[in-house]
Amino acid sequence: MRNFVFIVFFISVAVQAQTKMSAPEAEALKTLVKQQALTTKTISSNFTQYKHLDFLSNDIVSKGKLAFKTPDLVKWVYTEPYNYAVIFKNETLFINDEGKKNQVDIGSNKLFKELNGLIINSIKGDMFDDDAFEITYYKKDKNSQVHFSPKDKKSTKYISDFQITFNKKGDVLEVKMIEPSGDFTKIIFTNKEINIPLADAIFIN
Amino acid sequence: MRFLLISFCFFLVSCGSYPKKKNFQAENSTSKEIENPYLSDSRIDYVYKASIDVYDRNFSGLLIIKKIADKEHRVAFTTEMGNKMFDFTFNENDFRVNFILDELNKKMLINILKKDFKVLITENPIISNSYSHNEIDIYEAAIYNKKHYYFFENYKLTKIINAKNGKENVQFLFLKINNHLANQIEIKHSNIKLTINLKSITQ
Repeated sequence: MRNFVFIVFFISVAVQAQTKMSAPEAEALKTLVKQQALTTKTISSNFTQYKHLDFLSNDIVSKGKLAFKTPDLVKWVYTEPYNYAVIFKNETLFINDEGKKNQVDIGSNKLFKELNGLIINSIKGDMFDDDAFEITYYKKDKNSQVHFSPKDKKSTKYISDFQITFNKKGDVLEVKMIEPSGDFTKIIFTNKEINIPLADAIFIN
Repeated sequence: MRFLLISFCFFLVSCGSYPKKKNFQAENSTSKEIENPYLSDSRIDYVYKASIDVYDRNFSGLLIIKKIADKEHRVAFTTEMGNKMFDFTFNENDFRVNFILDELNKKMLINILKKDFKVLITENPIISNSYSHNEIDIYEAAIYNKKHYYFFENYKLTKIINAKNGKENVQFLFLKINNHLANQIEIKHSNIKLTINLKSITQ
């Protein structure tokens, strides 16, 4: 019985922790995030990535640094547990895999192009495209969380939901990409610095 | 006529079995049970950083292997950024594709991967013959009806060879072995330009 009470209590707390936003609240968040995205010229941040596969005992954890510069330069550098860097630039992926350099042309690959667009927009938090996504807004503790569920059939084969958590200022704290199977990739950003000068040389492989 | 003779001789030679060609000594008294221990602990999430060279292209990602039941394994591959490329289930002789990216969904490719991974995860292959050569114990076993030779040095499994027409067709090398973990695994194909290099990042 005590357990039962505890469970009910826990469920009600869990439900309270995430509630749907009212329309004006959602509108206010959208405006805040869009404003934030507009004034963001560069982002430099540490990140921790959790790859969750249901059949594993633990998530696969990797860590590194992200650099972003408008309009569309993105570099992910993984430093743990391996050295790997990928730069998204002009429809090309520049890869440095433990010193082995490689490039992949994504110009002809629609899926990768979309993915690249999503990555940039999700870093900035600006994904509010009602034509492309079914969007739902939640309050979660002191933060906000927005769920973007792709409408395009080809995308839904790979991703069933993007969930982005924003802090009060409209900065992205966390991005979670959920696959139709339930497996997901979660990226948590820490020590994020906005609009510090980033040289173009950073984005050369 | 002479040409026919030569080609006949050549045919005979090329048909010689792999152990014969390599001068392996047949053994009768050796143990009849062997074990590939490297991916067999169900408590461990095996994660390898993979580098794949196929023809002149290089791909990389993470190969993830987990024993989820007595004779059942999951084998999945993701990019470093977490995008899933494929996810297979091996259950005894059953094989299931849980997910594969459209671009990779080619029968021939799936077949090659299926055969390679089946060798990696098979724990107790049934031995049909045993040999020895320079202090190395060699056991012959069939996987998917193909002959595979297991090489044991000081009772440690160091390589598996899939032989075809007396030649190495696919080599599986287990390197940097620490207890029951192979910190490096190399899979080299001879008939196609394909090499898979795996480095353990098991956490």
